[in-house]
Amino acid sequence: MKKSNKLNRREFLAAAGAAAASIPYLIPSGVLAQPGRIGANEKITMAHIGVGGMGGYHLNDMVQRRNQGQVNIAAVCDIDKNRLINALKTAGPGVEPYHDYRYILQRKDIDAVVIATPDHWHGVQMVHAAECGKHVYVEKPACCTIEEGKAMVAAAKKNNVSVQVGSQGRSQPEAYLAHRYLVNGNIGHINRVDCFHYPSPEDNNPVPDSDPPAELDWDMWLGPLHWRPYNQRYCHGVFRWLLESGGGQIRDRGAHVMSCAMWWMGADGTGPVTVEATGTAPKQGLWDSAVLMDVTYTFKNPDWVLTWRQMPNDKLPKAEERTGDEPGGKISRPGYGAIYRGDKGEFIHWGGDGGTWAEKKAREWELPIGGKDVYKSPGHKEDWFKGIKTGAKTIMNIEAAAGVANLCVLGNLSYILGRKLEWDQAKQTIVGDQQAQRMMSRPQRHPYHL
Amino acid sequence: MSTNSLKKTSIAAGAAGVMAQMASTAQAQGVDELIAGIKSDSAEKRTETWQSAGEVGAPAVKSLAKVMTDDELEVARAAKRALWQIVRYTGRPGANQERRAVETELTGLLGDDQPVAVRREVLWMLSEIGARRSIEPVAGLLRNEDLREDARMVLERVPNRRAVAALKAGFEAAPEDFKPNMAQSLRKRGEEVAGYPCQKLVPTKKTDVKPL
Repeated sequence: MKKSNKLNRREFLAAAGAAAASIPYLIPSGVLAQPGRIGANEKITMAHIGVGGMGGYHLNDMVQRRNQGQVNIAAVCDIDKNRLINALKTAGPGVEPYHDYRYILQRKDIDAVVIATPDHWHGVQMVHAAECGKHVYVEKPACCTIEEGKAMVAAAKKNNVSVQVGSQGRSQPEAYLAHRYLVNGNIGHINRVDCFHYPSPEDNNPVPDSDPPAELDWDMWLGPLHWRPYNQRYCHGVFRWLLESGGGQIRDRGAHVMSCAMWWMGADGTGPVTVEATGTAPKQGLWDSAVLMDVTYTFKNPDWVLTWRQMPNDKLPKAEERTGDEPGGKISRPGYGAIYRGDKGEFIHWGGDGGTWAEKKAREWELPIGGKDVYKSPGHKEDWFKGIKTGAKTIMNIEAAAGVANLCVLGNLSYILGRKLEWDQAKQTIVGDQQAQRMMSRPQRHPYHL
Repeated sequence: MSTNSLKKTSIAAGAAGVMAQMASTAQAQGVDELIAGIKSDSAEKRTETWQSAGEVGAPAVKSLAKVMTDDELEVARAAKRALWQIVRYTGRPGANQERRAVETELTGLLGDDQPVAVRREVLWMLSEIGARRSIEPVAGLLRNEDLREDARMVLERVPNRRAVAALKAGFEAAPEDFKPNMAQSLRKRGEEVAGYPCQKLVPTKKTDVKPL
C-alpha cells in the first residue's frame, strides 16, 4: 500500500544511521517492503496516543501481540504524566515516552498509531496521523462534528492509509451470527430497529473550578476546544458525560449499537432523512448530556426507522438467560442493545462493543446450502492489520464510522436545539436550519485544528 | 382629516399603547418569574425553569447574564443554561426577528463592564446566531488578550463576508504572536495568506519522563 511520505530504502538507511546514536529507532515495516505490501520482518511498528482508560487496554493488548511477535511498540504518549509513566512500565524498555503526539507523527519508523484520547481529539489526531502517512486505529466515536467526519474520510483517502475505528462490536463472534441470521430473512423484512440503553449519569456532587493537577497538561487536554478553567468533572473518563467532549451514552454506546445496526441493515453509506430527539437534562453539575433520551431516525429508499432510547433500568428488555459455559458466556452487559423488528418476527442483540450476545435462535441457526454468508472478522485488530498489509477495507472503516458518528452527532444536535432536523445524505448537510448548519462544525483552537 | 377620523386614530393609538404596555408588563413578569426560578433553592425548579427560558427571549438576556456570576455555583450554571436555551430557541428557522433581538442584547454584553467568563460564553452564543450586527463588537475583542482566540473562532464561524473582512483587518492589526491564529481562520474561510504557515504538525511540548 502506498504511503504519501514513505522513505525509500536509501533515504531510510541514511536517516537511521544519523539517528542511531541517539534513539534506537525501529525499521518501519514498509521501508523494506515490495511496493504496496508490508515487508521486512512483517511486524507493524506501533505507537500509542492516549494510554489511560481504553488506551491502557489497547496498550496491554498490543504488548501481548508484541510478545507473540506480531508487532513492535515504539512509543507511548499522554498529556498526563502519571499515565505516561504507567504506560512505560507496561510497555517496557525500548519504548520512547512523549507528551506531544506530534513528535510521534514526525518519526518515520512508526507505521501506525492507536489513538485513544477523549472524543474531541479523535478527528484532529486521526487527520494529522493520516497526513503523516500513519495507519490509524482510532477509538469510537469517530468524530464530534459532521465536518470532522468529512475531514477524516478525506484524509484517509488522500493519504491511502488504513483506518479502523474502535466500534469493535462488528468483529465479535456473535455479531457475525446475528448478522448472518438477519440477512437470511429469518425475521423477514426489517423495517425498524430499536436501540436501548440505560441512562447517562448525573453528577450528584458538583465541584467548583480549580487548578489542574500538576501531572495534567490542561491546555493540551482541551486541545481543539475553546479554553475554559479546569474542573475535576471534565476528566479523566467522565469527559464522556459532557456534550462537547464525550456526547453522553448516545455517542459512546450509540457508536457501538448503531454501528451493528447500520452494518446488518446494509445501511453503511446511507443516512436518515430526518432526526428528532427529546431528552431530560441533568438537574445539576457540569455534565450536560441527556440522562434519558429518545431519538428517531427516519430512513427512506429503503424505508426504515432507527431509534435510540436511553430509558430507566426497569424499562429495559429482559436479558436472555444463558449458562456461563455456553460460548460467549452469560450476558454481562444486559443494559444495552437493540431489537430488530421484521415482518415475520423480532430479534434481540445485547451489548455491541467488547461483548455482544445474540439471541439463542441466531446462535443455533445453521446456514443452509445456498444461504447467504457474511464477512466474518478475524478480530478487530487483525482486520485492521489486514487492511494495513493488503489495502483491504476495514470492517469499521472511516466512511462507515463517520456515518455512524453522524447519527450520534445529529441526535445530540436535535436534542440541544429542541427541534427536528432534516438531513441530506448526498450533500452531507442539514437542510433549512442555519443555526444547526453552523453547528455541523466547531472552530478549533490554534494550533490543534484539522 | 375630519374630527371623526382624528378621534378614531386617537382611540386606535391609545389601544395600541395600552396593548404595548400590557405586553411589556407581561414580558417583565416573565423575566421576573424566570429569574426567580433560576435562583430557586430547588435543583428541580431551576432545571424546569432554564428549560422553559427559550420563549422568554431577548428581554431576559441581560438579567440572566447578571445571574451567571452568582456566588451560588448551581444558580450561575442554571442562568447560563437558560441563556443558551434562549439562543437555541431563537435560532430556529423562521424566527429571524426574535434572533436579531437576542443578538442585539448579546452584543451589548461584550463590553469591558462584563466579566471575561460571561463575555466568552456570549461570544460562543453569537457564533451560533450572530450575523452582521455582531461582527464589529466581536472583532473589537481581537485586541483583548483574554478573548481574542474566542473572537477569532467566532468570526471564523459566522457565515458572512463581513466576518471575513473583519478577520482580514484583524490579521493586519494583530501582533506577531497572534498572526498565525488569524491566518488559520482566514485559510479556513478560503482566503490566501502569505507567510505564517500552518503550525498544526509542529510539536512543541517535550516530556521530562525518561524511557526505561
